Amino acid sequence: MSSASPTIGTSPWILEVRDVKKSYENGTIEALRGVSLGIAQGDFLAITGASGSGKSTLLHLLGGLDTPTEGTVLFRGQPLGKSQNGVASIDLDTYRATSAGFIFQSFHLLPSLNALENVQVPMLGTGSHPHNREERARALLIELGLEHRLRQFPTQLSAGERQRVAIARSLVNEPQVLLADEPTGNLDSVNSAKILEILAQVQQRHGTTLIMVTHDLSIAATAHRHVAMRDGRICN
Amino acid sequence: MQLSFVGFAWRNVWRRRLRTALTLCGIGMGIGAFVALVGFSRSFEHAWLQMYESAGTDLAVVQKTFLNTSVDQSVGTTLRQIPQIAIAAPMIFNMMAVTPEVNTLVYGWRANTFEFSALNILQGRRFRDGQQEAMLGELLAGSLNKKVGDTIDLQGSSFTVVGIYRSNSALESGAIILPLDEMQNLSGMTGKVSAFHLQLKPAPPGISPEQWRQQAENAVEKQFPGLRAIPAAERAANNQLVVLAHAAAWGTSLIALLVAALGIANTMAMSVFERTKEIGVLRAMGWSRLRVMLLILMEAAALGAAGGATGMLLGWAALHVLATLPQTASIVSTALPFMTFLDGLLMAVLVGVLAGSVPAWRGARLSPVEALRHE
Repeated sequence: MSSASPTIGTSPWILEVRDVKKSYENGTIEALRGVSLGIAQGDFLAITGASGSGKSTLLHLLGGLDTPTEGTVLFRGQPLGKSQNGVASIDLDTYRATSAGFIFQSFHLLPSLNALENVQVPMLGTGSHPHNREERARALLIELGLEHRLRQFPTQLSAGERQRVAIARSLVNEPQVLLADEPTGNLDSVNSAKILEILAQVQQRHGTTLIMVTHDLSIAATAHRHVAMRDGRICN
Repeated sequence: MQLSFVGFAWRNVWRRRLRTALTLCGIGMGIGAFVALVGFSRSFEHAWLQMYESAGTDLAVVQKTFLNTSVDQSVGTTLRQIPQIAIAAPMIFNMMAVTPEVNTLVYGWRANTFEFSALNILQGRRFRDGQQEAMLGELLAGSLNKKVGDTIDLQGSSFTVVGIYRSNSALESGAIILPLDEMQNLSGMTGKVSAFHLQLKPAPPGISPEQWRQQAENAVEKQFPGLRAIPAAERAANNQLVVLAHAAAWGTSLIALLVAALGIANTMAMSVFERTKEIGVLRAMGWSRLRVMLLILMEAAALGAAGGATGMLLGWAALHVLATLPQTASIVSTALPFMTFLDGLLMAVLVGVLAGSVPAWRGARLSPVEALRHE
């Protein structure tokens, strides 16, 4: 963990949050109460905390899914969402499309598409060639050991296989940051171990920064760094 | 398996097969009504035009007042004195019942009118003026099972069928032609006609046919301020029956299309609501609001296009059924103008896009976090 650097536009971190606060319902609910955190490129960070501690809110801000009420989120020194102090910002849609990949607890695969098609969805409408899209998706699924399940629909896949498809989907645009929200929350212990192993391999092989939210301390122990949260603040 | 943006949109539409099929039925009915009704009114107009053109009618002289088709027959004498006019043929047309179920167009012509040149007499002969004689188009003769020598009753008067003819126009092949004076008696229009059909003399050297025709129109309207001389094509389009048919067709079609649009809007609103979490996932994957909006609009357009195709088949089938029914065969042609199909398809897609725009806007406005939390 590190204290925030003072100047917008320069940051030694790939991702950094500076004194970030997030409140809902006109300030009556404070999810984050001043969080500062720097994450280095290639890091594997686990964020833990009880339900309501603010860990998912922090993940959403780091992933550009939401914007802070106060404070700044920087990606490679550039603010996400809105310009600050004359430093041009990164559009959140662009950030999510090109630099961030998401893995969810409930997989969120699209039921009308098979595994190969699900992985191609993030690339749709980006101007990439359909053939290239398919080849990229196929290569990732093969890398994750799903070469025999390419044309299976989500309902025909096991929970572990579905999460592997979701991981392939999160990687398809070659993100620099991978954000996982309780990725093993719906898996048994065998599949959990396999998914964690895959994530660690992906993080090492692709040099991706991995940020994982979990309530399971044994899983958090596999990360390089561990941030614990309580009542909207970092507490370790 | 390559996935395209359009393919993805169609998969989403086809996911709820029953709902999609029911929506397609609704749109199909709307577009079917449009194709059948507007197609009918356009083919009706086309048949009038064909009738005028094949007879060689250059101008028609009618009352300026809409729906008033009564012109004094004595006008003909003056018309024939106008230098540009070669022939001024008086005529009457009306719809009459030939059986309790069958209504047909009935024309009143002079026995020597130039308009007979467009007809091919298959059996019998031309009628004589002042006689209770009738000629039947072959389509009507077939459906009524009449032949030369039989009689036909119109408004309580009996007419002997003296000829069966063939015409290129559905309006004539399903019609009856009576002597003008007999038709005047039947219609209570003694001394009156519906219109005069004019053939012009050839344009003299140095004057174009259009200028010559314009001169004739001006001369008629100067002579008779209450009358209009209009070219055959315009007469076909502005003929009272055609105008009424167009108005009824468009009015009914628009109501049907509105119902279809509500069906699409409902389907798309349901779809967006049910897929809120999916929209959140798409947004999390970097899809912009615009791309989400385009996806939903494309789904709505796909529904519209598929419904339009269904509707065109239904409309085409409806026209073919109408063309075989004795009650409607005389005024319905199955020759559907291509423009009607094109209009139908474009209208279906447009209705789809318009109906899908509000659900698309709502879907695109969703915040990714709120959408992902949606249960």
